[in-house]
Amino acid sequence: MSETESALAHAKQLLAQWAAETREPETNRLDVILTRENLRAAVQTLTDARWGYLAALTGLDLFNPLPKKGEPLNDAFEILYHFCAGAAVLTLRVTIPRADAFVPTVCDMIPAASPFERELIEMFGVQVSGTPDASRLYLPEDWEAGVYPLRKDFVLTESER
Amino acid sequence: MNALLALLLFPGGLFVMLNGLAYEWVDRKLVARMQNRLGPRWFQPLADVAKLLGKEEIVPRGADARWFNGLPIVALAAVLTAALYVPLLGILPSVGFAGDLIVTIYLLSVLTLCLALAGSLTSDRFGLLGATRTLTQLFSYEAPFLLALLGPAVVAGSWQIGTILNYASGQWLIVTQPIGFFIAVIGLMGKLELPPFDAPEAHTEIVAGALTEYSGRGLALFRLAKNVALVVGLTLIAGFYLGGIANAFEFVGKTLALLGVIVVLQVLFARLRIDQLVGMWWRVGALLALAQWLLLIGWKLWSAN
Amino acid sequence: MHNTQAEKFIVPMGPQHPALKEPGHFEFTLDGETVTHAGVRLGYVHRGIEKATEARTWVQNLYLLERICGICSHTHATAFVLGVEKLAGITAPPRAQAIRALIGEMERIHSHLLWLGVAAHEAGFDTLFMFSWRDRETIMDLLEEITGNRVNYSANVLGGVKYDVQEKHADALRRALDFLETRTEHYLEVVKNDEMFLRRTRGVGVMSRELAEAWGVVGPTARASGVARDVRVDAPYAGYVDFPARLILQTEGDLEARFSVRIQELFESYRLIRALLDHLPTGELVKTVPRRIKAGETVSRIEAPRGELFYFIKSNGGDKPERVHIRTPSICNMSSVLSLAVGHPLADVPMLLAGIDPCFSCNDRMVLLKQTARNGAHADEWTWEQLHQHGIEYYRKQKR
Repeated sequence: MSETESALAHAKQLLAQWAAETREPETNRLDVILTRENLRAAVQTLTDARWGYLAALTGLDLFNPLPKKGEPLNDAFEILYHFCAGAAVLTLRVTIPRADAFVPTVCDMIPAASPFERELIEMFGVQVSGTPDASRLYLPEDWEAGVYPLRKDFVLTESER
Repeated sequence: MNALLALLLFPGGLFVMLNGLAYEWVDRKLVARMQNRLGPRWFQPLADVAKLLGKEEIVPRGADARWFNGLPIVALAAVLTAALYVPLLGILPSVGFAGDLIVTIYLLSVLTLCLALAGSLTSDRFGLLGATRTLTQLFSYEAPFLLALLGPAVVAGSWQIGTILNYASGQWLIVTQPIGFFIAVIGLMGKLELPPFDAPEAHTEIVAGALTEYSGRGLALFRLAKNVALVVGLTLIAGFYLGGIANAFEFVGKTLALLGVIVVLQVLFARLRIDQLVGMWWRVGALLALAQWLLLIGWKLWSAN
Repeated sequence: MHNTQAEKFIVPMGPQHPALKEPGHFEFTLDGETVTHAGVRLGYVHRGIEKATEARTWVQNLYLLERICGICSHTHATAFVLGVEKLAGITAPPRAQAIRALIGEMERIHSHLLWLGVAAHEAGFDTLFMFSWRDRETIMDLLEEITGNRVNYSANVLGGVKYDVQEKHADALRRALDFLETRTEHYLEVVKNDEMFLRRTRGVGVMSRELAEAWGVVGPTARASGVARDVRVDAPYAGYVDFPARLILQTEGDLEARFSVRIQELFESYRLIRALLDHLPTGELVKTVPRRIKAGETVSRIEAPRGELFYFIKSNGGDKPERVHIRTPSICNMSSVLSLAVGHPLADVPMLLAGIDPCFSCNDRMVLLKQTARNGAHADEWTWEQLHQHGIEYYRKQKR
């Protein structure tokens, strides 16, 4: 078993008790689907075991503004916590409804997550409860409150593209 | 009428300023060549000053316009007065009096004080920090610099520049007082805030230090004042330590050689932090200068007996 | 200025400041000369690139993403093409992969030399600055010769590379490397032995391994603190699979270590380029990539000159990406500077900042300029005349 595979197997075993589902989309990747309630516990397990480091925090807007027949509107966000260890990439995935868009902070366990969480807040309007600094990181001070540019319903006009 | 000419054209006034601009050019050009750059053309310092004089003078809000405009004039006037007492071009000053060395040194300090005042009056954060650093640096190099220039005065037995020059001609005091020479050169660099002693105007930290808010005329005058101070300082050190005045040509050569030394020092080193700088002056500079001074006095007393 | 209530003396650095070559805003609270608090505000070069990718095709995005950063444009393009190729199930030909690594290393050389100059300049050591930038021109000229551009080389296309490295390039490159190697040896000596310079670097801004890991520091900054992390080594990509890179590691964690790690990485780059040139695989340069990319998600990681560059790419099976998320190395390193600055004299701050080699353009990547409609013109497009007129009117108003 290669180093990457054993690292992923270790992660899988560590997170088994919290995971709702696991997937292996690529040979070096492991996706672990979590509920919001289990997120902090899962991150704590990883940091306790010193498994890799938090490489990035990706927000995804699953919203489908123009659903075709049979397609759901999918009114939700998915927040991806990417952890890397060598070549292995472990992604914790949490899906949250748009109406109740918040995730708990992980900054107390991983201080480096602060700028990632700030970015998430201003770009997606996802609240991060308990984050030490929720102020704007990238957007200008006079940016309209409640407008979140990376949401799918924020559509660029022709000249802004 | 002659006195007026002497004040306005030669040796005071216009001539010293042009001399200062020429030395600034030599300094910039040599530094540039040593850093593998092309460097400015010969008229660049003059062009800079002309351009600055023509620019709009912006008095920052909160600064007293009278002080803001007056300080550069005082600074330039002080160094121009100092220039009257030094042997520019190897010509002995006509207006010397007993104790003019002390007056000259303190007229040079007026420039630094004006800089610091200007910085603190503009109520700009960078200006204020720059002013603090300027004063800190002044307090650290001033005493050793003074001691270093008093070394030749002690052996010559006079506080008058002319007398010291007469004593110094024919003998190179740099041989007998190397420490004094070295400290005088470094002190001059500190006074002019040249690298590596440019912490007071370290532009990657505090933009332009005390002069941050200055534009146009004030900046031009301060720069002119610094150039004149450079000429005065070089003339004094070359006269005292490098064999006095032989003839004008040789003397100018000596001051230029000294400028070359300063250029090399500028190019060689990274900037010192202000705390490191103060430490260096008081722990090394002042002690060495004092030690040499005591030695000189001892020798003087011993040889008098 | 005098905030008498709080008794705080705050020194702003930026958005325009001589220590910053790009806009960012830092605020340092001072007690005398000592920094007691530090804060940062980014976003001055935020261009909304992440959002813009969603409105562009895969091919268009390649050129857009390359413009995130002028210094490490190639790494952004490489991370993107590798990710897209992975999604499409295509592997670029070996020669293309090797050339990607080759250009990547050339870029690292020019970036590290640029950094060396900037860092020396922050220390008031302009001589080193001038010389390192002069030497940097050698590699810039070669980049121009191979790709036609000094920056934004556009060497990558989806499925391969655009430019071949010919024998004449290889010869010129080898000669340049010989020259650069002697120069770099000299710089390493200066950085390690110059007493005055060491006063500004040795023992300054020490970051322990634990701190570096807690702050999530990446790249040479992390490797100077003993964190053994280099994507080229941990997860080889492109040409690095066949031409493995060596890890440069130091444990002191101070500014001197950051200088020396980067300079030693230059030697490693020279070695890699020589190896690549000597054993450049033969064959085609490009494979065809379909216009529509299969649905899926992928993660693409690259070792940029400043550290790990992280791309997350999601496709819906269309001709445009559903989402491209970019995490640049500078944002990881930024918070470490703020924490490090506290307790240091203000004079060390520019050095500390330079120590992580920050790249604000990378940081800020993603916006939209929104302006209210003025002069009856279109809301966010001003012609030159309008700008000119606006300038005149603005200053007229100020004078009154």
